[in-house]
Amino acid sequence: MAEPRSEGSLVRYYCTYGKGMEPFLIDEVKRKLAAEDVCQISGKVLFSSSAGIDRVSELKAAERLFLLLKKDSPVLLPAHTNQAKASSVLQSRVLGDKDQWSSAVMTWSRLQGELSSRRRTTVKSQSTALGVTRKTGEEGRRIRGHLRETEKRHCEEEDEEERMGLSICRQNGKKGIISETDLCGTGSVCDHVTSGLQQGSGRNVDNTAEDLTVQKVEHGTTTEGRDETLLQPSLIKPEPPSPAAVTFRISCKCTGSLSRCYSQQEVSRVIGVGLSRLTGWKADLKNPQLEVNVYLSDDNCLVGFPLTRLPLANRSYIKTTGLRSTVAWAMASLAQIQPGFCVVDPMCGVGTILIEAAQEHQDVCFLGMDIDDGQLKKANENVEFAELGNRMHLLKASSMTLPLPSSTVDAVVCDLPFGRKFGTKTDMAASLPRILTEMERVLCVGGTLVLLLSPQLSCVLKKLLAQKDTGPTSNQEAKPGKQDCPPPSLSSTKQQTSQIQQGVQSPPTQETEAPSGLQHSPPAPLSSLKHQATLRLSLGAIDGLLHKYVKMDT
Amino acid sequence: MKLLTHNMLTSHVKGVTKGYPLLIKATEVKVNEVDFNPQFVSRMIPKLEWSALVQAADELGHRQDLPVELVPEYEKNEEFLKKVHRVLLEVEVIEGCLRCPESGREFPISRGIPNMLLNDDEV
Repeated sequence: MAEPRSEGSLVRYYCTYGKGMEPFLIDEVKRKLAAEDVCQISGKVLFSSSAGIDRVSELKAAERLFLLLKKDSPVLLPAHTNQAKASSVLQSRVLGDKDQWSSAVMTWSRLQGELSSRRRTTVKSQSTALGVTRKTGEEGRRIRGHLRETEKRHCEEEDEEERMGLSICRQNGKKGIISETDLCGTGSVCDHVTSGLQQGSGRNVDNTAEDLTVQKVEHGTTTEGRDETLLQPSLIKPEPPSPAAVTFRISCKCTGSLSRCYSQQEVSRVIGVGLSRLTGWKADLKNPQLEVNVYLSDDNCLVGFPLTRLPLANRSYIKTTGLRSTVAWAMASLAQIQPGFCVVDPMCGVGTILIEAAQEHQDVCFLGMDIDDGQLKKANENVEFAELGNRMHLLKASSMTLPLPSSTVDAVVCDLPFGRKFGTKTDMAASLPRILTEMERVLCVGGTLVLLLSPQLSCVLKKLLAQKDTGPTSNQEAKPGKQDCPPPSLSSTKQQTSQIQQGVQSPPTQETEAPSGLQHSPPAPLSSLKHQATLRLSLGAIDGLLHKYVKMDT
Repeated sequence: MKLLTHNMLTSHVKGVTKGYPLLIKATEVKVNEVDFNPQFVSRMIPKLEWSALVQAADELGHRQDLPVELVPEYEKNEEFLKKVHRVLLEVEVIEGCLRCPESGREFPISRGIPNMLLNDDEV
């Protein structure tokens, strides 16, 4: 899969992320992509990396990925200015230099081409559909027309089609006759990634499309171990994608002083008109080739192009999603899983946390448990879909009585159910001591426990452990997040603590719940669980709290 | 249920002091070929209760010639790792049950998933 094309050239990207994920994302880009100049502004993480786009687009903590065009000081308009003056300031400040746009679009096209070829080779490695006839390919092409609109829902079918597309390449390759028309024909079967570029009119756009097409075919063929030189001569020819006839749409987000004077539509329009004039590109609100994202705030001005249509958080390897994939991944990364570990999720649901963990760790045994047959069935389908059957195993069991011997598990990860969908919060609060005791029992000394809790449950748990604890460990409780856990920033920890305190006061029910739970709790104290970190993350509509503990020798 | 999972399971029926290893009564056993990952197998071996694995494989008629004692330097012994791989990951109990050696309580296995849930009065 090593793709030298983009290796070596440093590209500046930025990612959006869910609230609370920033420390994980920053850590991930540094660790996996050797990213430089990593910084965090306005809800985005900016970084430069020379890693191939295939690796960049596999970031797990991010929501969406963009190519950065520019990051600048904020656009400030003079206080009492007229509309025309304001427009011209906006245009000159946001747009800047024409060459910058041309070269950014070329980088963007190149990355798009590499992304689509990557997709094809990935599919290919899994492909079993050999010997599909060209006719089938043409049918596939027709289906694709429909698919383009609803890409998100139909990943599977799409893969199917890509497979068809590939087998055409393969057949062509076998014959050894690779004509120009064949290449184009094949390319059009899998054109969706570059769809924007193909719909425009004009010669230059056609060239662009061809260029990308040819790249794709080249990859498809070379990875198959075929003679590269056969293809090369005709490949070198294409001109670089000329940005002359690009169609675009501006998506603008304004905050601060600018947003008090102008609506986002107005700003988008002004910038759009300016960009058209500067580059000769055409605005197309409905079906543009290029999406231009502009963020204007009192702190900075940011412009970029999205690189993938679907958020990175949409995992191609998960069939049924449960917990947000990014949060599940964050939990797995907090657990600091090592080769040879045995990792248990005692309430696994559809298995999202373990699947995210299993994607990162080959030589680890994962065991998921749930009491619900429906969830287990979906989890089982997920395991099969992700082809993890050799290292991820499922069983039906209760978190209150884990069917495992003591001190045999290296990490326990668990999203403790809360919210309307799963039972009541009262039940969970009352069961918490029992569940925690079981988790503590099965963990070996040094083992890690990572829990995702609602703010209410988080309070219940803190109290529970504070009461069980004595002496030095309760000090630990007062200072969450001060331990060596990888990501956290101090500010988020502070915010964290204050939010917890608010939580303690607000719902009056807890005052009675926690003690009642304690009465039922088994004699074994939870004192061996040492608190390591607490982090707050957004789960969409609500927030969740991640708690991390390590089992100590007592 | 693969034998790797079985090797970790124990019965916690009330009053039972040694609910391990569970006896396997299989009515349907499947052998699926799974990609061999020698690192995975050699990482898992130290975690295993070796005698329980040999016994389980024996019960299912898939012991091959796994020795009673774990061989030394197994990490370098690919032939041995392949055998362990087969027993751990390729042999799968689809239907049947697991029996607690002490209480005799049976835990059903259905569609490959063991049901280890206990009734309230058994906890």
